[in-house]
Amino acid sequence: MRKTILLMIMTLLWSAPLLAAGTQYKLRVDGLSCPFCAYGIEKMLIRTEGVESVTVDLEKGLLIVKVEEGVTLTEARLKQLVHDAGFTLRSMSEQPL
Amino acid sequence: MVRLTLFVVMVSTLLLSSYAWFPRVKEPPYQLVKTWGGKGDAPGRFNEPTGIAVSVSEVFVSDSRNARIQVFDFGGNFKHMFGEPGDEAGQLGRPMNLTVANGELYVADYFNERIQVYTLQGQFLRAIGKPGAGPGEFNAPGGVAVANNGDLFVADFYNQRVQQLDANGGFIRQWGTLGETGVWAGEFNYPTDVAVTANGTFYIADGYNDRVQVFSSNGDFSHKWGGPLAMNIFGSFNGWFATVTGISIGSQGNIFVADFYNDRVQKFKPDGEFLNTFGIPSKGPTHTTIAVAVASDGTVFVADYANHQIQKWRPGKK
Repeated sequence: MRKTILLMIMTLLWSAPLLAAGTQYKLRVDGLSCPFCAYGIEKMLIRTEGVESVTVDLEKGLLIVKVEEGVTLTEARLKQLVHDAGFTLRSMSEQPL
Repeated sequence: MVRLTLFVVMVSTLLLSSYAWFPRVKEPPYQLVKTWGGKGDAPGRFNEPTGIAVSVSEVFVSDSRNARIQVFDFGGNFKHMFGEPGDEAGQLGRPMNLTVANGELYVADYFNERIQVYTLQGQFLRAIGKPGAGPGEFNAPGGVAVANNGDLFVADFYNQRVQQLDANGGFIRQWGTLGETGVWAGEFNYPTDVAVTANGTFYIADGYNDRVQVFSSNGDFSHKWGGPLAMNIFGSFNGWFATVTGISIGSQGNIFVADFYNDRVQKFKPDGEFLNTFGIPSKGPTHTTIAVAVASDGTVFVADYANHQIQKWRPGKK
C-alpha cells in the first residue's frame, strides 16, 4: 500500500511540470549586445501577459521567451513588441516545452 | 585659372575636413592601473555593470542584473552594497547610469521608470517619476544629472527626450519630441545620459545618434559633435562614436564619453575638440565601455559591461 501511494506521489510530481508546460519562443533580434536595447525588449516582453521568463543569449543574438500553458504569442504581436523596443524581429521559432 | 582655383578650394576643403573629422590624439596615453570584479553575485563581483559614479573617496557601481549598487574605495576594495530586485521603494530593476550630487546618489532605475535617490551610505531617500509619457513621467530612464540648485536632467530613453525636473520631480521643461527620433539639433535618438556643469551647461549623450549635444543653462542648443556634421554617422575614427552610453565631466571641465560599440572612452574639450581615447577591446559578443566617471585627481573609472568589471585609468605623464 505504501509503495502504491509513494508511486502515485512520484508520478504526480514527475508529471506536474509536463502538465504545466507552455511554449518557448526563440527570437532573433539585431543589437542585443547593448544593454539599453536588450533591457528594453526584455522589459516589454516580461510585462506581457502570460510571459513567464525572458532570457537573453548574447552569443547567439537570441531572446528566449517562455510563456504559460495556453498562452500564444503571434508573430505579429512579437514583431510589434520588438518594434516598440526599437528593433526589428529577424526570425522566430516556437516549440512546446 | 578657374580650374586651378577650384582645385585649391577642393584640396583645402578636404584638408580642413580631415583635420576636423579625423583629429589626432593630443595627450600622452592613459594608463590602465587596475581592474576588479568578474562575473558573479558575491560582493565585489558583477552581473552586467552599467553605471558608475564617484564621490570624494568612493566608487559607486550599478550592478544591473544583480539589481544592486556596490560601493568600493578608489583602490577597488569592496566596502558595502545595497538594493535588491523589485519595484518597491528602494528596490531596483536594472539600475543604469549613476550620479553623485549634493551628497546623494541618484540612480536611473530603468525597469521601474523612476529616479531613486539614496544617501551615500545606501539609505533610500525618495523616488522621482513614474511610468508614462506625460510631464515628469519616464519610459526607461537611462541617466540623470543634477544641477547645483537640485534640478534633475533625465535622459528619458524610449520617450526620446530629456526632461528637466525640480528636486521634487515637478516638470520644468523638456528637449526633444515625445516618442520621435531625429538627427537635427535638439532632437534625439534614444538619449542615454546627461552631465551638467556648475554653470548649468549640460551635455547629453545622444545614444543612437552617435553624438553629444550641448545646451546652455538657459536651455538653448549650443553645439554638438560626433562624426561628420554630428548627424548619426557612426564610425571608429577619433571623435566619432558608435552608440554613446554614458557621459561625465572631469575636474578640468573636459568631457569624457563612453563610446560603447568602439569599446573606448573618448575625451574632449567642452567645445568638442578631441583630446584622447583609451579602452579595453572587446572579445565579443558584447562590448566593454558603457559608463565613465572621473575623480577630482583625474583618475577615470569605467564600467566594463562585457567583462563584468571596473577599469581604473590614470592620465599619462607629459
